[in-house]
Amino acid sequence: MMSGSTILFYLLATLIISCGVLSVLTRQIFRAAIYVLFTLIGIAGMYFWLQYEFLAAVQIVVYVGGIIVLIIFSIFLTQQAGEKLAKQQLDRKIFAGLAAFCGFALTIVQVLQHGFKMGTETPIVPTVENIGQRMLDVNNSGYAFPFEIVSILLLAALVGCIVIALRSKPEVNLK
Amino acid sequence: MFLKDYIKDIYGAIKSLLVGLNRTGYYFTHHKEIITEQYPDNRATLVMAERFKGEVVMPHDANNEHRCTGCTACELACPNGTIKVVTKFEVNAEGKKKKAIDKLVYHLELCTMCNLCVVACPSDAIKMAPTFEHSVYDRSLLTKILNNPGSKIMEGVE
Amino acid sequence: MWSLSKIASSIHEWLSSTFNPTITQVIEMVIAGVSIIGLFAVLGLVLVLMERRVAAWIQIRLGPNRVGPLGLLQSMADTVKLLVKEGLTPNGADKFLFNLAPFIAMIVAMLLMAPIAFAKDFQLWDLNIGVLYVSAVSSIMVISILMAGWSSNNKYSLMGAMRSGAQIVSYELSAGLAILSIVVLTGSLQVSTIIQSQADGWWIFKGHIPAIVSFVIFMIAVTAETNRAPFDLAEAESELTAGFHTEYSGMKFALFFLSEYVNVFIVCAIGATIFLGGWMPFHIGHWESFNHIMDYIPSSIWFFGKTFMLIFLIMWFRWTFPRLRIDQLLNLEWKYLLPISMLNLLIMTAIAILGWHF
Repeated sequence: MMSGSTILFYLLATLIISCGVLSVLTRQIFRAAIYVLFTLIGIAGMYFWLQYEFLAAVQIVVYVGGIIVLIIFSIFLTQQAGEKLAKQQLDRKIFAGLAAFCGFALTIVQVLQHGFKMGTETPIVPTVENIGQRMLDVNNSGYAFPFEIVSILLLAALVGCIVIALRSKPEVNLK
Repeated sequence: MFLKDYIKDIYGAIKSLLVGLNRTGYYFTHHKEIITEQYPDNRATLVMAERFKGEVVMPHDANNEHRCTGCTACELACPNGTIKVVTKFEVNAEGKKKKAIDKLVYHLELCTMCNLCVVACPSDAIKMAPTFEHSVYDRSLLTKILNNPGSKIMEGVE
Repeated sequence: MWSLSKIASSIHEWLSSTFNPTITQVIEMVIAGVSIIGLFAVLGLVLVLMERRVAAWIQIRLGPNRVGPLGLLQSMADTVKLLVKEGLTPNGADKFLFNLAPFIAMIVAMLLMAPIAFAKDFQLWDLNIGVLYVSAVSSIMVISILMAGWSSNNKYSLMGAMRSGAQIVSYELSAGLAILSIVVLTGSLQVSTIIQSQADGWWIFKGHIPAIVSFVIFMIAVTAETNRAPFDLAEAESELTAGFHTEYSGMKFALFFLSEYVNVFIVCAIGATIFLGGWMPFHIGHWESFNHIMDYIPSSIWFFGKTFMLIFLIMWFRWTFPRLRIDQLLNLEWKYLLPISMLNLLIMTAIAILGWHF
């Protein structure tokens, strides 16, 4: 007898895996992006299932609201509407399948060999206050340092964008 | 200075938005200003504007007399052949032949209400009427004869 | 006294005394789903009629007044018309995505209903990141618009979808920052905590000028996020016929139409919750008798009253302001709203740290 929670887990897992497979197999690039979107939403659902709502919301904000929209925009600006991609050559298919299988096997072996232990310490309640304090903590394995590193990376990206956008056009000689 | 312009910009924007909101808010709360005419219901009290041009008519007085001399100026002025003047010669009391209209045929279905015929008329015989309920089931009903049967020209109109 | 939470708890007691826990939970889920769908239908009918009335009165017209008493059945008649209309799918369209898009719009709108507190102790899911959840899930909305625009295989639709994408992605920032400036004061993202913190006064009164500034920014940003005039570039009639839903007809169009109005309701409900105290009645300092009278009004009426007031505000905007051009739209966000809301958040944080708020 499966409990409701287990059923939910398998439903989400089916959604994630099937959409992931479909996104690779489809030959329409826009559909591939939509399938990736559903995969990511499924992962967010998994976080909700684990009752870690903050991470789920961040997953949706970053991946669905940000990255997928970016991908879709780049498809809009580059690809031709609705045209199917050319079929891949057989050797490419074989090697892609092999690579995917190797990755899958590696993950499965790692998961099976890892002895999962039941934690004894009480789980941290992921309230917003807790998360915020962890994020800004410099001691007790807080995340202030990685946080700052990421900020500097983003700042560099921003400055780079502005420099590229500001580059003045080469002066055209009208003579 | 940049910051001063920036703040000035925001101030001006908010002010103009509030002015707009104030105006529409006034209309929202003042239902007396509503201009909608609920047409079939208010037929009895409906007042058409004075300058409304619905169709061309020829006014007749109490003696069934009109002012049309049959000069065909309106027919010539009409851009799309709406008016057709059919003339006849009348013998008056002194035995003289005089040109007069037999029929003034007006095709309402062709008329664009451009008012050029009324402007062209030298004797003010025709004018625009404010009627507008022109729908009929038969197209031929839209071809009208403007002068009343048995009517004649008014004395003194040349 | 009569209240929604009493009804809910009595239903719960009756169900749990009659059935075992699992069946009780399933039945309660079904009841919640059905009542959300019912709320959607009612909201669609009421808001469409309200919009048409407000538009008419602002434009010195009468508005719909023929169908039923005072024209109250007009939106019912429209719904019947949309239901019996043929739902066309264009030949060149990507049929799967074309048919999926309106349902995604609808599902997102339904998901957004979960953390909204409709009355005292009457809430579907009081999760600890309520406000963040709303701004996260509402960002899926843009996907349904992009999907509809792309799969229609129509240039108008694609243009509309791209405009709407750029618009929603950029205005989400200032809406989020405006919400954050109140979250800084409450120290929690949970909807019930945010409402409880306003028991002695709403944040728009307690938070000095920065709260008012962030309220204004929030209203502007959510108007843009729900694609309503003056930010309705995504469906600008005069340029793009109807934008992303040009090719949709019948019930699929109705779903987009309904989800627009439901989204307006949701963002206004969130605005009412954060800035105007949700279901909290209006209290003034120590006027005990006045406060008692205010307490006597049911909390659901307070909530819906505030929400509909904000909805009216958004409708008022729509029928007053002319549409912005796309460059004006992006200028407004990146040059004005975003810097101001960042500065505002900074000031708000200082106020929260120094304890200057009431």
